[in-house]
Amino acid sequence: MAVYKRTYAAYEGSLTPAWSRFLILPRYSFARLWQSRFLVMFFMACFFYPLGCVGYIYLANNLSVLSSFGVPAGNFIKVEPSLFLYFCWVQAAFTYLLTAFVGPSLVSPDLVNGAMPLYFCRPFSRAEYIAGKMSVLVFLLSLVTWAPGLILFTIQASLAGWEWTKANLWIAGSLFIGLMVWILMLSLLALALSAWVKWKIAAGGLLLGVFFAGAGFGTALNSVMRTSYGSLLNLTEVMFTIWSKLFSWPSDTGISLEASWICVAVVCAVCLWLLVRRVRAFEVVK
Amino acid sequence: MNDRIILDNVSRFYGEVLGVNRVTLSVPPGITSLVGPNGSGKTTLMNLITGLVRPTRGSIQVLGISPSDPERLFRVCAYATQFDSFPRGMTGFQFVYSYLRLSGMSHDDCERTTAFAIGRVNLGEAAHRKIAGYSKGMRQRIKLAQAIAHDPRVLVLDEPLNGLDPLVRAETIALFREFAAEGRHVIVSSHILHEVDTISDQVILLSNGYVVAEGKIHGVREEMSEHPMQVIIRCTRANVLASRVFEQDHVVEVRLHADGGGLLVKTRDADRFYRALNHLALDGVGIESVAPADDNVNSLYEYLIGGEESTR
Repeated sequence: MAVYKRTYAAYEGSLTPAWSRFLILPRYSFARLWQSRFLVMFFMACFFYPLGCVGYIYLANNLSVLSSFGVPAGNFIKVEPSLFLYFCWVQAAFTYLLTAFVGPSLVSPDLVNGAMPLYFCRPFSRAEYIAGKMSVLVFLLSLVTWAPGLILFTIQASLAGWEWTKANLWIAGSLFIGLMVWILMLSLLALALSAWVKWKIAAGGLLLGVFFAGAGFGTALNSVMRTSYGSLLNLTEVMFTIWSKLFSWPSDTGISLEASWICVAVVCAVCLWLLVRRVRAFEVVK
Repeated sequence: MNDRIILDNVSRFYGEVLGVNRVTLSVPPGITSLVGPNGSGKTTLMNLITGLVRPTRGSIQVLGISPSDPERLFRVCAYATQFDSFPRGMTGFQFVYSYLRLSGMSHDDCERTTAFAIGRVNLGEAAHRKIAGYSKGMRQRIKLAQAIAHDPRVLVLDEPLNGLDPLVRAETIALFREFAAEGRHVIVSSHILHEVDTISDQVILLSNGYVVAEGKIHGVREEMSEHPMQVIIRCTRANVLASRVFEQDHVVEVRLHADGGGLLVKTRDADRFYRALNHLALDGVGIESVAPADDNVNSLYEYLIGGEESTR
């Protein structure tokens, strides 16, 4: 080993802002993720529906194109808030699968390897660790949800003109809020499962199970108890209730908007609690 | 006393399980070894010093900094854990670099200090290979590199010599000595008592969460009056020396070696014994060598912890 004659001199260079350090974590996660061909292909497939929507918006604003092909362009092809609501639905389904694939590999490898002390023997907190890992999913899912959604809205706004934009600006807000709530809930669920289930396949399966089992159990509860609040166990219905309200669309889930928001908040809080219990710098002695 | 690590009546319980209890220490710079059987609280003590675990009771100051202030603490402190803790797929360079970035260093500084630290542990050629392909010794060294990369004043290392071959072990010990000579703290835990004996400036012996002894090895040994000091003497007329030695009131036992060329003496007062031995040597007993037989960590461990272990 090279032995250098030197005296102690602490690092005195510039420091990056403390708030930005969590962004160090995603760099290697992304590098690893993009090594998977399946993920790259699936990620590309997530843009098929937004591309279709672009075509639809173009045609809706250029009916003469349809007429030139001899297709009767009546009132049936027009851009309404429901287009964006369906966009949320379809992209949410894609993000659901994407999360089941990506999420389980975020926290569990660190726990299996005993890497937590390495992270926390720095000026780096548990909250920053969770934020760093979550940012992988938030960034990835944003790319296929509200980001293309807002691009769609911008395209429609540019084609339809200022009057339409002014009257429908709320759609952009609804798109962003609705999809961010979905992304946050899904990310927290995935991280919590990743922290508690070490086997990646099992964690991915469990994420799917949370939704399917919740839906099944909720339906059974509704039938047995003759209530509609069993639907609160069905997270897709909970989100649909919120999105419907955001896009001024009638909801037939039978649960109130307030109950839906509370349900989302409870799910997020439970996930955070589960994460905080597991993301520790030391082994808990049993 | 800002150059010391001070633990004041520190206890840590994990629910009903005892981690460490009522630990009061003032650790000076140098190489300090934590010695004790599995579950004695060594790792808990290291976790407490580095702020990874908060004490249930008591307070800790590392060079005057509270471990609850990680922004300041981890500018001067570093920790290398006992277990292989490597995120999958990383090269050695990426491993050291990425954790330095978490410390807040800029890209350029991180690259420079990473290369320097990896060079210091002699892993330069393997720096860009994946850690998954490293041997146990290389893994230990890359962990050491990530710990020393930001030039800490307090180096806390859990079992740092495990898995190292003799040459690398000697180089690593030389690095510890170099750090200690610069007035830094090197706190290591180890089960290899012979090495602890060789490298330590002071030892902390732990058992069942309690500190059973601390200080310089020789000083600790001298205070253990219930265990007479053992001295091995090689000489020409062992039987004569044995009879003369046994006349001393502080000598409690004398055993002749089977070859008749030496003896083992147990004495309650080592200082008086050595003075008496000088006189005997002057009287013509041909003494070839005198060496303490149990003035080492191994014996301390046996006397202080071995008994407890065997009674459990």
